[in-house]
Amino acid sequence: MSIVQLSGLKKYFDAVRAVDGVDLAIDQGEFLVILGPSGCGKTTLMRLIAGLEKPTAGQIHIGGADVTDLPPRKRGVSMVFQSYALYPHMNVYNNIAFPLRAQRREKKYNKREMRDKVESTARLLEIDMLLDRRPRQLSGGQRQRVAIARAMVTQPAVLLLDEPLSNLDAKLRANARDELKDFQRSSNITAIFVTHDQIEAMGLGDRIVVMSEGKIQQIGTPQHIYDDPANEFVATFLGSPSMNILSREGFRFGFRPEHFLPRTLQDNPENSRLFHYFVKRVEYLGSDRLVYGYVRGHDSALTLAKVPSNVRVSLDIEQDYEFAVHNSDIKYFDKRSGQRIKQQNLARAD
Amino acid sequence: MNHLSLPAFPLDNRRLVGIVFLAPALLYMLLLVGFPFVLAIAFGFSDVTVGNTDLNFVGLQNYLAVWENDVFRQVFETTIRFTLVSQVFILIFANILAIVFTQDFTGKWFARFIFILPWATPVSLAMIGWLWMLDTKYSPIDYLLLQTGFLGPNGILSSNRNLFWLATPDLSQISVIFVQVWRMTPLATVILMAGLSSIPTDILDQAEVDGSRFMRTLLQIKLPLILPIMVIALLFSMITMFGDMTVVYVLTRGGPVDYTRVLGLYSFQVGIEGGNLAQGAAISLFAFPLLLAMAIFMLRTASRAEVQ
Repeated sequence: MSIVQLSGLKKYFDAVRAVDGVDLAIDQGEFLVILGPSGCGKTTLMRLIAGLEKPTAGQIHIGGADVTDLPPRKRGVSMVFQSYALYPHMNVYNNIAFPLRAQRREKKYNKREMRDKVESTARLLEIDMLLDRRPRQLSGGQRQRVAIARAMVTQPAVLLLDEPLSNLDAKLRANARDELKDFQRSSNITAIFVTHDQIEAMGLGDRIVVMSEGKIQQIGTPQHIYDDPANEFVATFLGSPSMNILSREGFRFGFRPEHFLPRTLQDNPENSRLFHYFVKRVEYLGSDRLVYGYVRGHDSALTLAKVPSNVRVSLDIEQDYEFAVHNSDIKYFDKRSGQRIKQQNLARAD
Repeated sequence: MNHLSLPAFPLDNRRLVGIVFLAPALLYMLLLVGFPFVLAIAFGFSDVTVGNTDLNFVGLQNYLAVWENDVFRQVFETTIRFTLVSQVFILIFANILAIVFTQDFTGKWFARFIFILPWATPVSLAMIGWLWMLDTKYSPIDYLLLQTGFLGPNGILSSNRNLFWLATPDLSQISVIFVQVWRMTPLATVILMAGLSSIPTDILDQAEVDGSRFMRTLLQIKLPLILPIMVIALLFSMITMFGDMTVVYVLTRGGPVDYTRVLGLYSFQVGIEGGNLAQGAAISLFAFPLLLAMAIFMLRTASRAEVQ
């Protein structure tokens, strides 16, 4: 059953179409990641769900009820901001207790119940020894946990997370990602997570929504959107380095650098397509070699190949090689719309 | 660096540039703040008068004389009372206005502009305006009250045709405090507005998602967060008010009797108008330790309350 349902949702700021017609159903207990470059409307979409922005058009249903015109406190959602937005003048206990006190009209707790709730939530996030501290006395990781505890204490239907990991340093981030996922699993809360970081998105999301220019480009599992992108934007946005796009005789197609290998390494040469590849530069990255070059006979900027370091193929610069891509790894796109085209249609034309 | 052997341009010298840039401020501080202050201290310990400008050291004699003077004690008390009472109103009004002016409404810029005028107008000019408004005989306020039946033979407030805004003990004090509040609220408001708009929007959005309504957000989030700035605003207006003499000088000259005589005015009247420079200086210096202590206390409170 979908717990959040967005239909025809639009938000315009004067001429800017921040969110431009979004339809989306989010399931109970799902970890949904909204992924897109900055300015794609992902944060606005989240603020619309939270009730911090009023939509220009469209409806929002949460838990089956139409909440489009309701203020945030009546929506059963809570939110973790990128900055964590902890109240700096309150200690951790009061920060976590704040939503309980603020929502006393919806549900009232006596002192004991409140203390129990705050403490059990704090224990869950392993910050119960920090309750007397002020936010400025906490590390980045601790602040993030306090923000999550404050968001969880009211047992919301939906937890909204706006890039909550981006303020952590790289080492902490991987750890925090893992813990966040565990926590979401065990509490079975529905989480909507906004990010521009594709690694975060791939690692966390049950499903990923890829957004660009206020519109949803594709919805699917991480593997699905990576292996089967709906259009050229999704294909090139995901993956690092991104997919090579080539065009020839009016057709556009692409393949990922890791699928672009010397012919001798292809296990299935009959089903592969051959390219004459001029190697310009080779970067040694430890586990891989990143090769920069040009494919002869095609219009393209640089084409990249990612060749594992453990295969014994010598690649010298300023030399031509035969490279191959498995047919199923080649994606074809419409020249005008950028949408995926079925392979067989193009095979005939080719 | 000199191995390049380029001719040195004088303004490339950091020390020289520093001195040049600081000089105007330093000169101002030394000539117009430091020198008069030192002079006042010297005067306070001497027997200098307008007629005899020899500085003879007399110790604490001036201070003792001033302290034993009943008029001085009353003046001192009045000054403190005026300052404290007006600060309460200034803080209340400034908070309300700062909150109003940080909301969105049509005509906000015009309203802000009108509102800042009392502070932007030269004090003496504004006070002449108030002198007319509160005139004993021709006060427009009295006229309005008369027309609406609050004054006059069967009036509710008084059977007189006038209230004598600046001429009765109670009303003259109320008038002076009112005018001071009118004059100083804008500055405090502007300071508080700056404080309110410096609160991160994330925090306010978070409060909204957490379910907080207007009053809770105001009392538990906004006001505590601008507390340090509020203290600064308070400090500014308290110190300005404590040393001010223009308002009462124009409106009442300290009268009726001594009811609106404040420290600044009294010091001026004794020292300049009365010619007793030494005692005038001693009177004005009485406020100094008090203001200093107050400033230190408040700045400490502010920095302790400061967050992050």
